[in-house]
Amino acid sequence: MPIVEFKNVSKHFKVLNRREGLVGGLKDLFSRDYKTVKAVDGVSFSVEAGEIVGYLGPNGAGKSTTIKMMTGVLLPTSGDISVSGRVPYKDRTKTAANIGVVFGQRSQLWWSLPLIESFKILRDIYDISQEDYAKQLALYESLVDLEPLYSKPVREMSLGQRTLCDILAAFLHNPAVVFLDEPTIGLDVAMKAKIRELIHTLNRVNNTTIILTTHDIGDVDALCRRIVIIDKGVMIYDDSAENLSKFFGQYRTLKIKTDDEITYESVTITRNEEWVEIVTKEDEMPVMEILQALQKSHKISDIRIEEITTEEIIKKIYAGDGR
Amino acid sequence: MDNTSIKRKRGLRFYLRIYFKIISQDIKSKMSYRADFITTFFGMIALNLSGFIAFWVIFKNFPQINGWDYREMLFLYAFSLIALVPAEFFFDNNWNLQQAIVTGDFIKYCFKPLNIFFYYMSEVFGIRGLGQLVFGVGTLIYAWVGLALPVSFLIIVKLLIALFSASLFMIALRNLSAATCFWIINGLHVMNITNKFRDYARYPITIFGGVFRVIFTFVIPIAFMAYYPSLELLDTKQPVFLTYLTPIYGIIFFWLSYKVWMKGAMNYSGTGS
Repeated sequence: MPIVEFKNVSKHFKVLNRREGLVGGLKDLFSRDYKTVKAVDGVSFSVEAGEIVGYLGPNGAGKSTTIKMMTGVLLPTSGDISVSGRVPYKDRTKTAANIGVVFGQRSQLWWSLPLIESFKILRDIYDISQEDYAKQLALYESLVDLEPLYSKPVREMSLGQRTLCDILAAFLHNPAVVFLDEPTIGLDVAMKAKIRELIHTLNRVNNTTIILTTHDIGDVDALCRRIVIIDKGVMIYDDSAENLSKFFGQYRTLKIKTDDEITYESVTITRNEEWVEIVTKEDEMPVMEILQALQKSHKISDIRIEEITTEEIIKKIYAGDGR
Repeated sequence: MDNTSIKRKRGLRFYLRIYFKIISQDIKSKMSYRADFITTFFGMIALNLSGFIAFWVIFKNFPQINGWDYREMLFLYAFSLIALVPAEFFFDNNWNLQQAIVTGDFIKYCFKPLNIFFYYMSEVFGIRGLGQLVFGVGTLIYAWVGLALPVSFLIIVKLLIALFSASLFMIALRNLSAATCFWIINGLHVMNITNKFRDYARYPITIFGGVFRVIFTFVIPIAFMAYYPSLELLDTKQPVFLTYLTPIYGIIFFWLSYKVWMKGAMNYSGTGS
């Protein structure tokens, strides 16, 4: 049975059509002219227990709206949602007892309290048994050096420490599902790696389902076997991370070093100092074919062929290509 | 996978336990910033003192207002100060509501298996209420002795009931004005205005004209914050029907403010992140 299930879920907002200028503002006061914004439009997907799913999309795609519906904060306009067997918006508190949430930039810990006190309060709030609590803390201590953080108030922590503690706090009650919203935002490379490893371990140890939204493709590459992409409220991709490049075409980049002006039919060409970059879809226009054709008419001093990265594919998707 | 679901219904006892834990930790951490703590405490005393001086100056010039003399007015003044203390202590986080909504931080209160209103209010203990309490009690004792009011078990119980009822109005008014932040962008102004109105609570309602008297009784019920409940306690005054209505009306008004606040919280969807 899937742990998170979305069946044809939509969320429409009514937004006031604002008129321009002062007179327009006055008119707005009296006649309310609404338009409907489809933040999420007919989205269906299901997540099995233990999966880590990367939930991606450009800003304003509907990611936050989806997460808010999953956690019972927002009521869907239509469709069915189930999270660990419950309908979130019908019973927010019961759903909340079985999920964990981390918002990258917003600590959910008590700002002025030492970490250990926050943990103790969470233990009471989530009704964690003494035994489970001790077990979980032992696990945490084996993963990260927590001892020096216990007595430190959250406000005195660095962003990296705070993120780490926030993630630990979200897993403390051993929830079925954890939502991570940009968990590595603003962190340095070493801390990012540490956080990713921690998430990976926590997912494995208790088979916790993780839904991750991020703009950092490094997170996706390190953690997610499956990716769901949403754009303008519509789901446009739901498959494995490896299949992403196949689905959107096998893009490759051919770089050639030449002084000549290069033109070639139906491929994108950009010049980057002495390198000319040609991005092509392998199944439509093989790289070798282009190279052979160019070699006949131009003097080429060097070449390089690069596979497209996940990041570039996502960039293309966000830009509206490949659809 | 329902391993941590809540088995029993979360009753008052559960919430009291959690509340006590959070608040005691909060006070502990606040006291650890000693300079901050002391400044806040004495700042509040100074603020109250300046309010008191203004009050005193008025009475140097007008020995009586509508049949209320200096000591009786002082009683009202002290009463309204003490009645405000619970709102300051336990519902102070209302002042941060606009900020929490504008920045989108409010969303975090929706993710815990707790009542949102409870969770939000539990986060801040308004320590500055302490200065207010000390000053208010001191002034009340002074007025009480000056008026030669009796000291008996019955009148103390009456006083406590009256203070409790009045404090419900103080809290409710704060909740309601803060709840406007859920619907309008600058709800803080509403809070400041109602806060100013609250200052009128320390005057007998009879000094206001008919329209204002109705408004201050039924719309912004500041007349219940000191005037009506005090009528029962002062020997020189006769209680009116509304005096006895104060506790019930207080509970209703508080409940209403809670409902409106929660409706706002449910209405809230947060900014994207």
